[in-house]
Amino acid sequence: MTILLQGVLDAVSIGGLFALMALGIGLIFGIMRLINFAHGELITIGGYAMVVLADAPPLATAILTLLFVILLALVMERLAFRPLRQASLPTLLIASFAVSYLLQNVLLLIFGGNTKGVNFLPSLSQPIEFSGLRITYLQTVIIVVTIVLLVAVTLFLKRTRFGIQMRAAAEDFRMAQLVGIGATAVAVTAFATSGFLASVVSLLYITQIGVILPQTGLQPALFGFVATVLGGLGSLLGAAVGGFVIGCLAVVLQIVLPLELRLFRDAFLFAILFAVLLIRPQGFIVVRWARERV
Amino acid sequence: MLAVAGLQVSYGSIAALRGVSLSVGSGEVVSVIGPNGAGKSTLMAAITGGVTPRGGSVVFEGTSLLSLGPKRIVQRGISLVPEGRRIFSSLTVHENLKVGASTRTDRAAIAADIERMLGHFPALRERLDRPAGRLSGGEQQQLAIARALLARPRLLLLDEPSLGLAPLVVDLVYRILARLRSEGITILLVEQNVHRALAVSDRTYVLRTGSIEMQGTSAELLQAPRFEEAYFGFAGMKRGDRGASPT
Repeated sequence: MTILLQGVLDAVSIGGLFALMALGIGLIFGIMRLINFAHGELITIGGYAMVVLADAPPLATAILTLLFVILLALVMERLAFRPLRQASLPTLLIASFAVSYLLQNVLLLIFGGNTKGVNFLPSLSQPIEFSGLRITYLQTVIIVVTIVLLVAVTLFLKRTRFGIQMRAAAEDFRMAQLVGIGATAVAVTAFATSGFLASVVSLLYITQIGVILPQTGLQPALFGFVATVLGGLGSLLGAAVGGFVIGCLAVVLQIVLPLELRLFRDAFLFAILFAVLLIRPQGFIVVRWARERV
Repeated sequence: MLAVAGLQVSYGSIAALRGVSLSVGSGEVVSVIGPNGAGKSTLMAAITGGVTPRGGSVVFEGTSLLSLGPKRIVQRGISLVPEGRRIFSSLTVHENLKVGASTRTDRAAIAADIERMLGHFPALRERLDRPAGRLSGGEQQQLAIARALLARPRLLLLDEPSLGLAPLVVDLVYRILARLRSEGITILLVEQNVHRALAVSDRTYVLRTGSIEMQGTSAELLQAPRFEEAYFGFAGMKRGDRGASPT
């Protein structure tokens, strides 16, 4: 029973990070039909912002990191993706690869290829123990922040006028324009929200792993992409669910795999996800694709 | 109110509109009829900012619409009920109506307008909080019209409003158009359903392969000997004894 509960706690905290990651990626995909591979670099750059701001008070570090990553997401939209709004899906995809590699190499140029330590709020890593369960303060923060953000994003999309317009644009961008929804306003809001989610993941994830490299963002971004596909491309609820499922799978594999195989956990994880997608290629939640018509 | 002159639109090397001119006066109901592929939807797209014409002009109340973009065209008072309805199926009926008022900021007036629409379209009131994708085709068409009206247009464009609907539902849609007309909304209607279009409109244009072939009042067109010819592209489609193509 204790092992089970411990597993659930771990799964929720890991799955929460993947869910936030997937939500940030899924939001951009749903609205722009852009699979933004540079989302991982938003995470990485948030991590480097924490390195640069290491001597600042923690609150200032957190706020400045959030703002910087959001700003970067907006710059990305303006410089790389707005000129390509009419472009085809493959063009957008390749452009996002280009942005991703460009940012990685800029980071390599500025900070070099060596691992940098990030020692943000070390007290958060201390474990709390109660009735045999172990959870760190950081895991608790991750769980709470995930829940708060999922609820906040849901309320924003369901209850606010602008959120409803964003959902309309996600379903049928051209029709949304025809009822007078501004394409630029929707794109800017989508990127700002996605950047905000990335910056939060960055703060939590980089604090948890404690180190940063120019490629650090790739792995969580990959998990995020898989989560959005697993959940059903275009569905935000699906993305969040997909993130949690991947987190749960990772934890279950960590528990059931024999010690000598644990190193290859991700291989098993992706094999299972592959099998799931073979059975249900459309993902958990099916979204009717927006019609593209001239 | 709306003046289209010499409008040319091409998709790549294919010309969709080859110099189309038409006008819609304030309070008029004007229809554009023509077979599939005549360029009717392209005409609608050009007026609403969906495609960029290669030549010609679209002027609404003295202002050119050509470089405005869809949002500002809606703000100027033109709304489109598109072909195939294109309601937002994952949004509820209520949310679809709210989205229709995206260009407006007068919250109280929007709520009042939604209430008024629900009075006009009682079927929508019963399904207010359901996903719009679950509505029947006729209900979706009513929602699409209500959504367009929530922008408070002075000119309403309708693209094939009877397409894919059962005859009884088409009756309903055309009763709605007749009522809108009596409320003073100017309407430009694109249809394949010739008799419906002629019955509801003051004036009609026949569009075929990208050009206006004929125009006139409904009565004039019905009596014109060339009407069938202009519409179908060859005379005596039903008689079969005069099969030569005039164009």
